[in-house]
Amino acid sequence: MKSTRYITSGGLAFSEGKDMEKLRRFSLKGWHVSGFAFMGYTLEKGESADYIYSIDYRSLKEDEKEEYLTYFSSAGWSLVASQADIHLFRAKSGTKPIYSDRDTMVEKYETSNKNMKTLTISSVLLTILAWAGAMFSSGILHSILTVVAFILTVPTLPIVWTAVSTYSNKWKVEGRSGLVHTVKIIPTLLALASILILFFANDTDNIVRLIAYIIIGAVGIPTAVWVFMALYHIVGKRA
Amino acid sequence: MFYIMATLTVPRHGYGIMNLIEETSKGAISIGPASMYTIIKKLLKQEWIQLYDGSDSRRKTYLLTDKGRRVLEEDLRIRKVMIDLAEAGLKEGKE
Repeated sequence: MKSTRYITSGGLAFSEGKDMEKLRRFSLKGWHVSGFAFMGYTLEKGESADYIYSIDYRSLKEDEKEEYLTYFSSAGWSLVASQADIHLFRAKSGTKPIYSDRDTMVEKYETSNKNMKTLTISSVLLTILAWAGAMFSSGILHSILTVVAFILTVPTLPIVWTAVSTYSNKWKVEGRSGLVHTVKIIPTLLALASILILFFANDTDNIVRLIAYIIIGAVGIPTAVWVFMALYHIVGKRA
Repeated sequence: MFYIMATLTVPRHGYGIMNLIEETSKGAISIGPASMYTIIKKLLKQEWIQLYDGSDSRRKTYLLTDKGRRVLEEDLRIRKVMIDLAEAGLKEGKE
């Protein structure tokens, strides 16, 4: 019998709480997380135990790491794995949470979206510039800009969506639930709007249609990949 | 933040601060390790506390600065006024 296995993550920016619950359920079945893997976690077979899990985001210098980890270990939390500035901790069920007040918890999500901010803003600006350039140019320049804009859009959409989710996590902690709910329905609305544009606006500019296609792809492809990964591992488990 | 500053009139390390707060309050107040680390970093940045002994990187100790001491005194003064208000109010309500 295999002693390691893989499970998918919903993406930490999107479903941190659900991921931590999932890790706990697997620990109860004797599968304990041992590290981060591509779009998920690696689990190792062991004794069943009621462990709880928590994520902290923090950029640490080499000489800060030891002190940081000592705080956690003295409170009963041990480090499972770190990847970049993301640290995954484990403790026995009943251990007090790693964040005890709202102010510092808000800062947790500020750390997580600080890293995203520059990347997001620059990629959005570049993409918009390229599309605008494509719309108002003609000939070869138009073709080049359309291709460039298309290529830029592919990574920009998921980047933006991740950044929006990190803000949404922060708002959730701050108790701004209205904003959180609004954010949740944005991708569905965008995809619907794009489909409507394709159906009813046959005479619109090609570029508008192209953007609509991209948005449908951006919402649809990750959903499809996620479903596929999930199915693959269900089938893989049975085989 | 007030609780942590209150413990740093003498040099202490992070673990000691967490324990002292929990013991003094008999478990009513407990500070999580991630919150603790965030607050220590913030207090250092504001220069309300300073590193006292950093020779053992696992047991770094911190102490209030003069500035921090003044902030704590002012905070304490306001808290006392508010406690008086609550006490007086509760007494009045009983009579």
